[in-house]
Amino acid sequence: MLELLLQQAVNGLTQGMAYALVALGLTMIFGVLHIINFSHGELYMLGGLMAVVATTMLGLPYGLALVLAVVAVVAIAALVDLVAVRPVLPTKDGPSTVLLSTFAVSLLLHQSVLSTWGPNPSRVEGLAGSLSLGPIVITNHRLLVLVSGVVILLAIEYVLRRTLVGRRIRAVAQSEFAAQVVGIDVARIRTLTFLGAAAIAAIAGALIAPVSLFTPSMGQHAIITAFVVVVIGGMGNATGAVVCGLLLGLLEALASAFMPQDMGTAVIYALLLIFLLIRPQGLFAGRAR
Amino acid sequence: MTILKRHLAALAFGAILAAAGQANAAEPVKLGVINPIKTLVGKQNLEGAQLAAEMINQDGGILGGRKIELVTYDTNFSPPEGVAALQRLLTQDRVKVVAGEISSSVALAAIPVIEGEDAIFMAAVPKHPDVTKSGYDKIFRMNTTTAQDAQSFDTFLLETVKPAKVAILAENSDFGQVTINQMKKLFGDKLVYSDTFGMQQNDFAAMSTNARSSGADTICIVGSNMEQYGNILRSLSDLGFNGNRCLMPGVLNSQGVQIAGAAAEKAFSADIYVPSIDNAFNKRFVAAFEKKFGRKPEKIEVLGFESIWIAAKAMDKAGTADDTTKIAKVIHEGKWETPRGEVTFDKNGQASSGELIRLVVKSGEIVVNR
Repeated sequence: MLELLLQQAVNGLTQGMAYALVALGLTMIFGVLHIINFSHGELYMLGGLMAVVATTMLGLPYGLALVLAVVAVVAIAALVDLVAVRPVLPTKDGPSTVLLSTFAVSLLLHQSVLSTWGPNPSRVEGLAGSLSLGPIVITNHRLLVLVSGVVILLAIEYVLRRTLVGRRIRAVAQSEFAAQVVGIDVARIRTLTFLGAAAIAAIAGALIAPVSLFTPSMGQHAIITAFVVVVIGGMGNATGAVVCGLLLGLLEALASAFMPQDMGTAVIYALLLIFLLIRPQGLFAGRAR
Repeated sequence: MTILKRHLAALAFGAILAAAGQANAAEPVKLGVINPIKTLVGKQNLEGAQLAAEMINQDGGILGGRKIELVTYDTNFSPPEGVAALQRLLTQDRVKVVAGEISSSVALAAIPVIEGEDAIFMAAVPKHPDVTKSGYDKIFRMNTTTAQDAQSFDTFLLETVKPAKVAILAENSDFGQVTINQMKKLFGDKLVYSDTFGMQQNDFAAMSTNARSSGADTICIVGSNMEQYGNILRSLSDLGFNGNRCLMPGVLNSQGVQIAGAAAEKAFSADIYVPSIDNAFNKRFVAAFEKKFGRKPEKIEVLGFESIWIAAKAMDKAGTADDTTKIAKVIHEGKWETPRGEVTFDKNGQASSGELIRLVVKSGEIVVNR
């Protein structure tokens, strides 16, 4: 039984980090721009698609595929920011309108990939091999997902705490008006945050595609769980997103040892409802930036 | 002069009649196709239907030279969208025969609409038993039912594989639930683990860990979605499971094997079709399919092909494109040559072509398991 629980804990941590990676970008955008970016799931999907294109069509090594995914998705995100966020945000009811405009973008991106690439799933070769610790097995690629999540979180913490850009981002997150008063270019900081979040979505898509395949609908499935993670973790809180992503993955995996898998998923959505009722600000609200 | 005028008038009248006759002969016969065409299986099924129309047209068409024309609508796996597509086909496009579809839910929602318009439905893939139990005698199903599959595959599992302990991982659908119940009856206490997964799930590490820890020497997967069963095979391989892996009949295809990669090796299943079936019709079909689509056809494509091929051939034999009673009677009574062999229909419209073919994955290929 102990062996089963340990293996499920490893499974849960890697699945949880996959949730966290998608949720990270979503929560960053909410924290700084105070908007919900519905196209985030599709940017994540495009990261996976770029990994497929780079590894299977261009024959590039996986490491280079990650770089290509980031460059391509950030370029697309810059266009999304230009047409669907920047012009809409300053208008009356801007944040609500951005929700609709990014929803339109998400449909546009999804349908464009479906009509050009087709609905076919594709396998992406990530890191080969696996690591065995006694009876517990973890594939090298799942280990990479786990380590990458921690590295990305530490990098975000470092940028936000130790760099000038980070301080400016925090200032805009706290008060756009005050940030403007002290001479911060708020529009530039918003764009930087949007592109940074897109870069994380691209890495997440390219990292997770070798674990669970690339499909054009992977973004639509991931965004739902990412919203749960962001709400429970505290909207706008990067640490909250990672911790809650991991907890959710762990809970799902451990629960599956005692109850049907579908029941485990129902428990998660019940948790979301409970949090919305008793602690709508999320677990880590006190530390929100 | 009057006689000349009369002759000229008769000639002109004859010319008009002949022209009208030619126009009727040239007028294509429209057949409706419904499918979730934005999904992989829907696209595969549609490609089979398209090839059937193309081959019939190349052979000179039906009913004295009339070509086949397919009118296609997307059902998006949604019963309301399927019903809307059917209503457009039957009332606006005026088709008398509708073919295709993957989903049983869409097919079941379609039946009252089809019956209301006295049309024929050639359901290609839906497996739910009720599809051919409506009592309406113009519904035909090309695919096998789960019960037909079980008759053949259960004997193979019990007498040849002889598992000591069995685990079953099933999609949460009618197909999955019916199969779990059937496996409980078949294996009794030997069934040591069963669980269902959602149709959107894409990580199976936890479920595969539970199945491995149950001590089962044979793990059976019930999943119609190749992404999902491909991922389950990969998860089992990642965990070092090296027992038997079986896929319930009718789901194993080359794209699923491609997704699973080396993890699919030695997985076994059974089905009504493999491209290597040795008959002249199949050879022609496979060659034409490869030429048109650049890959080998599989069961889903064959079912799409049959749904149009049999309907068109029956129209030709019945001598009508509009009298659905005559066409349905011809389908019921006929023996139909298709790529999988001879297909006949029972009184409920259920197709049959004999025993399932046992399959196994060897060196990345699905081959006949001898």
